[in-house]
Order: sequence, then C-alpha cells, then structure tokens
Amino acid sequence: METSSSDTPSHLLLAFLHSQSQTALTRLYQRPSACLSIFRLLGPLERQIVMNLLWLESVIPAATMAAWVPQDSRQAYEHSLSILSRLHLLPRSAAKLALNSTLKTGLRHAIVGGGSSGSFGVPANSDESHPPPSVETLDAYALERWETILHYMVSSGTGRSPTKPSQAVLVLLQRSGLMASVHGGALQITSLGFQFLLHPPHAQLWELLLQYLRMVEERQMDLVEVLSFLFMLSTMELGREYSVEHLSATQTAMLEDLRDYGIIWQRKTSPTRFCPTRLATTLTSSSPPLPTAAGVTSSSQAQGFIILETNYRLYAYTDNPLQTAVLNLFVSLKSRFPNLVVGAITRESVKKALANGITADQIISYLTTHAHPQMRKNKPLLPVTVQDQIRLWELEKNRMKSQEGYLYTAFASQADYEYVLHYAKQLGVVLWESSPRRCFFGTLEGHPNIRGFIERRTAGHA
Amino acid sequence: MKAIRGVLLTCDSAVKQILLTMNEKQSFIIEDLDDHHLVIKADEEWRVKRELEAELEKNTYSLE
Repeated sequence: METSSSDTPSHLLLAFLHSQSQTALTRLYQRPSACLSIFRLLGPLERQIVMNLLWLESVIPAATMAAWVPQDSRQAYEHSLSILSRLHLLPRSAAKLALNSTLKTGLRHAIVGGGSSGSFGVPANSDESHPPPSVETLDAYALERWETILHYMVSSGTGRSPTKPSQAVLVLLQRSGLMASVHGGALQITSLGFQFLLHPPHAQLWELLLQYLRMVEERQMDLVEVLSFLFMLSTMELGREYSVEHLSATQTAMLEDLRDYGIIWQRKTSPTRFCPTRLATTLTSSSPPLPTAAGVTSSSQAQGFIILETNYRLYAYTDNPLQTAVLNLFVSLKSRFPNLVVGAITRESVKKALANGITADQIISYLTTHAHPQMRKNKPLLPVTVQDQIRLWELEKNRMKSQEGYLYTAFASQADYEYVLHYAKQLGVVLWESSPRRCFFGTLEGHPNIRGFIERRTAGHA
Repeated sequence: MKAIRGVLLTCDSAVKQILLTMNEKQSFIIEDLDDHHLVIKADEEWRVKRELEAELEKNTYSLE
C-alpha cells in the first residue's frame, strides 16, 4: 500500500488536518474508514510505527521503541513521531507510547472487519431494472467532468468559450485563487491557476478538495462529516452502487457538489443510490486517479506522449484537446494532425508562459512527467540544450531586480553612520551598504523604525 | 543625515550601462551606487522597466 505522497514528507491533507482541533480529529477517528484512509496517507515510517503499536494492549516505554532505531535514523524517527503527535494519533509523552485509543479501535475494525458503523458505505440492493453502470461508463463520466473543469480554466482568456462547469465549481476555482474575475468581468485564469494545470491530477484533485474543506465552515457544514464522507468514498469499490440512506444531511448535500467534480455518479432517476468514480476510489491510494484507457485517448496519459528534440521541436502524440491546450501554454504549436500535435519551444512561447507566472522548473517537470516512452531511452531524458535554454530564458526575465525603500545618506560622521547602520542591520532591513560612501539602502518596511530611531537619538542629543 | 525615497535596482553591469544611457535622455537616476546597484525615482520605475525591456528585445533574434 504505497501512498502517492512518498516523495513529499506529508500529504497536502495531513497539513490541513494538523490545523484541526483534537476534538474534531477524535470524532473523525471514530470512523474505521477514516482511520484506514489517514493510515494510507501517512509516510512509510509513520505507518510502520502505527502498525507496531496497533495490536499492543498496554503502553510501551518510549525507550523500548527507540532502541529499534539506529543512531543515524534517529532524526527521521523523531520527525515521524512529531507528525503522528500533531495528528493526535500518538499523544506525545516522554516516557510512554500508546496510540490514540479511538484510532486503535477504528483501525482494528478496518483491518479485521466487524462493527456495524457502515463507515465504508452501505451497498445498495441490486436493482434488476437498473444494473449498476459499468466501470467504463464511470471512467468516461469522471474524465469528462474533470476535463471540463481543466479545459474551462485553460481556455479562459483565449476568447474561446468551452463548456462551463457548474456554478459551485466556478466559486471553488475563484475562492482557491486559481481563477479571478477581472474588473467584475468573466473569470480569468491566474498565475496560480497556470501552475495548477501543470500539476499531476492527484495533486490537482486534492488542491480543489482542500479548498472545499476550507469553505465548509462558512457553508455551515460539519467538517468532520465532510472529511469522513471523503474518506468513505476513498475506501469504496469502483463499479458498485451505494445507498444514500445512511448518509447524514451534510453528506447528502455534498453529493451534488461531488457530482460536479466527477467524483461520484448518480442516475438522474434514482437519487437514492450513487456510485463512486475512479477519482473517488483513488483519493488515498497511489493508483492514477484518472482512467488510463478512456475512449480514444488510449493509454497515452499514463505513458507519456511528448517527444522533444534537441532542435526545440516538440511532437505530442495526443488528440486530447485539454492536453493540447495545456501544451499551448508554453509551446508555439505549428500543426495538428488527428493523433499528433507538432510545435516548437521558442523564446516567445516560453516568455509568454513566464509572464503567466509559470516557472521554468514547472515546464521542465511537465515535459519530464509526460515524456513519451521513446524518450525514456535518452539520458538525460530531456535534451540538455533545451532545458538549459528554458532556464536561461527565465534568468533573462530577471536581469533586473527592483526593491522599493529609502537611501540613507549624508551622515554627519562615520560613527553616526555606523551606529544607525548597526541598528538597521539588527532589524534585517539593509539591502545595500557602502562604508566609504557612508550611505546605505533600507527597505520600505524598515523606514518607520529607522526614522523613529534617528529622531529619538537627535532628541536625546538636544 | 538624509533619507531619500527611491527604488534600488540590482542588475548586471551591461544592463546598468543601458540604464545610464537612458538616463541621459530623460533623467531618473537618483544615485549611482556601484557597478550593480542604482537608486532611481520610485514613480519612474515602470517606465524604466518597460523601456529597458524594449531595449533588450532589440538584441535578440527570433527564428520565426
């Protein structure tokens, strides 16, 4: 069970959970599905620690556990303990280690089964006249919904008007700062939004869901209910229908929102049952959240589809309008064929991307992740010339740095100068200094303090 | 002692020379600090940036 967050120390969601109160988290841990999901989001070492403690009936001395840890891994171990304690999974105490008892019960239930909390969702009774949708239908649906959102973002500002996602999605995009309305007009993608487009789908999904979680309170929804529903979805089975009967009012209200994101599927005629899509069932796992073989896209999405040559020419084997639109952010596209897009990375196209707030590293990492299998034979993967040039273009943009502030000059004496400079340095506001010329440049923020300091000093002299 | 409000520009020496030339046409430099630093008038910042951009653009060639 590998989490998607193995490269980062902690999943986006864990950081969010850190900021929640102990009471809220303990309520959350009452649900076995939530325990299992959080367990899956933890890093490998944290999971190891939890597993070791899970079946112990009594507390164990911290020293016993620490004795297993080699000296050079001490830091990693301490780091893991602090993550666990901030999640209130493992109360921090100097002498004894024991898992949060609520979590212990919940996670045990999740592993061995039992209990009747229905926290993994209650499957709906099979209905002869309406067989559950096939996995392909669900995948196509999820992909269509999700790409509608991304496509709307990428096409805003280009004059074309693609299908609009629902109003709730638009609000979410706006609140998360991915899109903004310019002068009260139509929504335009922001530089944050451009960066978002280049992220992997799993990260994108969680970024939007986190924003959803942040908005929960002002919509007077119960955060614990919302979180536990997401976790419930993440442990459900793809291609199976579940009943809405056992959901709380908050969770029923969420159904509509999640339908807009393509996370769940509901038949219009039978609102009493719903189906999680692949987006939902992979929320806490490492499997790709979007179907890899949907429709005519073949498996290009998983395998990568971009070939980049040393002469800056780029060939993208795709017929997906979204992928083409994303490429268009930083590639100057030349021709389009039924299964191939040809373009070149030029100074103009990269400059346009940089002006939109995309960084050179993001472009390079996008090209790396989506490189065609043929490219994987190359070492390094991307032509070095192109990588370097993209970075150089970025540097070129920053040839001049400007900082607003005050130039302090014409000091009466060297001692005077050094005295004030010393004070300014303590504040950490000095940007430039020259002792022979007896002047220095301080930031705008530091000015009131420095002026006050000089005034106090002059007053003292008088 | 004097405090002068302005914008500190940090740049390479080539850019600095261009700025000095631009300054001869329309003055905006408050203080020439050293090879890599200049202080200019705060309200001229955007104009200077724009003109510098245009100047640098003259020195690049595009294949298109």
